[in-house]
Amino acid sequence: MTSELFLQAAVSGLLLGGVYGLVASGLSLIFGVLRIINFAHGAVMMLAMYTTYWLFTLGGIDPYLSLLVTGPLFFAIGMVIQRVVIEPNRFAAEHNQLLLTLGLSIFLENLALVLWQGDFRTVRPTYAGASFVIGEALVEVPRLVACGGAVVLALALFAFLRTTDVGKAIRALAEEPEGAMLMGIDVARIRAVAFGIGAGCAAVAGALVTPFFYVAPDVGESFNIMAFVVVVLGGMGNFVGALIGGFIVGLAESLGATLLPGSLKQLVVFGLFVLVLLFRPAGIFGGGRGR
Amino acid sequence: MLPDRATRRVFLKAAGAAAVLGAVPSIGRAQAKEVKLGYILPVTGPLAFEAQLSLNGLQLAVDEINSAGGVKALGGAKLTLLPGDTQQKVELGNSEATRLIDAGVSALIGPFSSLVAYSVRQITEKNKTPFMLLAAVADNLTEGGLRYVFRVQPNGKAMATLTMSNLAEMAKAANAPIKKVAMMHEDGNFGTTMGNHVEGFAAKLGYALVQRIPYSIKSPDFTAELSKVKASKPDLVVISGYYGDSKIIAETAAKLRIGVNALVGLANAAYSNPKFIADNRELTDQLFDGNYWHNPQSPRAKAVFAAYEKRFSSTLTSHGVQAYTVIHVVKDALERAGSADRDKLRDALAKTNLADHILPQDAIKFDDTGENANATPALLQVQGGKPVVVGPARFAEAKPVFPVMRWHG
Repeated sequence: MTSELFLQAAVSGLLLGGVYGLVASGLSLIFGVLRIINFAHGAVMMLAMYTTYWLFTLGGIDPYLSLLVTGPLFFAIGMVIQRVVIEPNRFAAEHNQLLLTLGLSIFLENLALVLWQGDFRTVRPTYAGASFVIGEALVEVPRLVACGGAVVLALALFAFLRTTDVGKAIRALAEEPEGAMLMGIDVARIRAVAFGIGAGCAAVAGALVTPFFYVAPDVGESFNIMAFVVVVLGGMGNFVGALIGGFIVGLAESLGATLLPGSLKQLVVFGLFVLVLLFRPAGIFGGGRGR
Repeated sequence: MLPDRATRRVFLKAAGAAAVLGAVPSIGRAQAKEVKLGYILPVTGPLAFEAQLSLNGLQLAVDEINSAGGVKALGGAKLTLLPGDTQQKVELGNSEATRLIDAGVSALIGPFSSLVAYSVRQITEKNKTPFMLLAAVADNLTEGGLRYVFRVQPNGKAMATLTMSNLAEMAKAANAPIKKVAMMHEDGNFGTTMGNHVEGFAAKLGYALVQRIPYSIKSPDFTAELSKVKASKPDLVVISGYYGDSKIIAETAAKLRIGVNALVGLANAAYSNPKFIADNRELTDQLFDGNYWHNPQSPRAKAVFAAYEKRFSSTLTSHGVQAYTVIHVVKDALERAGSADRDKLRDALAKTNLADHILPQDAIKFDDTGENANATPALLQVQGGKPVVVGPARFAEAKPVFPVMRWHG
């Protein structure tokens, strides 16, 4: 493999990895606070992509602007989903809660299929074709913006969790649920907020990838699977670990594509996944909920 | 002696039963005014878009036949389509096929996915029901001495080998012979079959397959794969994929300045798709695709296109053309069989010699494995925002532009 190929693979892998990281951060937060594995994460991302599509096609609103609407919108939707669907079942067995989110995912994907058919839709703003070259590697502007946006949001959320009261309450609840309750934190509200933030992350990630990807009812699936791998890699509940893990997975996938024939690139990613589970189940960065 | 009451009652019952039995044949005949055809397609799931295109074609043909008086040999019996959804899953394909066979369909049409077809054909064979393949392109589907499987479209081998021959001829005529070919294909049954044929045919046609890359259609990024392709410096890149992935590949190839004489789809779901072309005018200009198509010189084809446009407010695609043709082949067989019975229909299908069709080929005739012996893929190129037939020469509506300068990098 030449250095040219390596550089290209590294660049495109890291750019996509940023997006994986954002999606995974949301998932990791939901797991850390609510202890549920949210299978509907990809479906929320898909719905946000459709929203971006409709805002662009009907209202002419640029995807990078409309995410200022889509993000908060899906934060609110996430809170509603948590209150209505998940909260009433929070004492159910863990595997049942998992099935609940899986069922939600199937429902949302098929709802999209019924409403909007299986047609592939695209959002192509004027700058969608823009690209430049670093050394011998091609950098596509929409992918760069997606990665940049993802990192900015993830870091902003990290700051939010560290500095604001709500952020501290979320971390408290994640670390010690009973203690948090005893300290007078409104845990039900914090659970809803955490789920909302997670959904908001997925939604913004969806809006960011729309200019270079396509919109279809099953489009969340590829990101869903990767997000799970990233979350385990980074440590379940470890927010920053998820972001860095995203870069690692993106890079692994891309290098895998260069080294191995075609679709075996997933082998590298899942191989890494299995290795982490075997030797460091709490995640590469530890501090996660490996148990 | 008069029969006593008991025997009289028995006699009356018997007479009544006889009268009813006598009437039943006429009720039976009155109800044979429809012929049921079942379809199994991935109506929900990732191929829902393509499945709908096929379904529209089926519907168009059925309604056309019914409003023209139905199947004349069966007293004007109407065709009825019974739906089945496979979700592109083998278990569902099997269960839906079984359900439709139990519901009394004379023939089964579908199932789009070669993988599903491979399993369903065993069920149709066991139940002696004619199975008209739709879109499924894998060659092994007609192998094994099955008597009830029929395929109208070109199979994988015909598609790949005839397209590569057409390309080689075109390239030679343009003084830019094809020496090195790179191929990317989706990693399922469809893509792998195409890959195998392109690879197997290389020696015969005199090109080297310098890169063969299977990929997963779910992947959001193909930059690494395309860099590998670019590094191997091919004359031509051949892509067998579905809609979403083919689109991303074309976009990325353009941005990477891939440096080839042409980008060619092989039975590609996107590159000759009018919607893809309309949505991506600049990107798709002068893309090639070897695919099943209609005969652009046929007046009947023009009429069918107009009817489709009127009804579905969109352009008829090759999926729809195939579906439309399959229904007419079945109808033609029903007329000759004079019966909706599955075995008689099967025998009539085997003897098909249908020249009145809209495909770019001679008469539709099935060989003894059930393949359409004269099936021909068309070589298409996007010119002026529309896919036009540039080969074979006798069906061509325009000259090919080759090499394509914008892919030169």
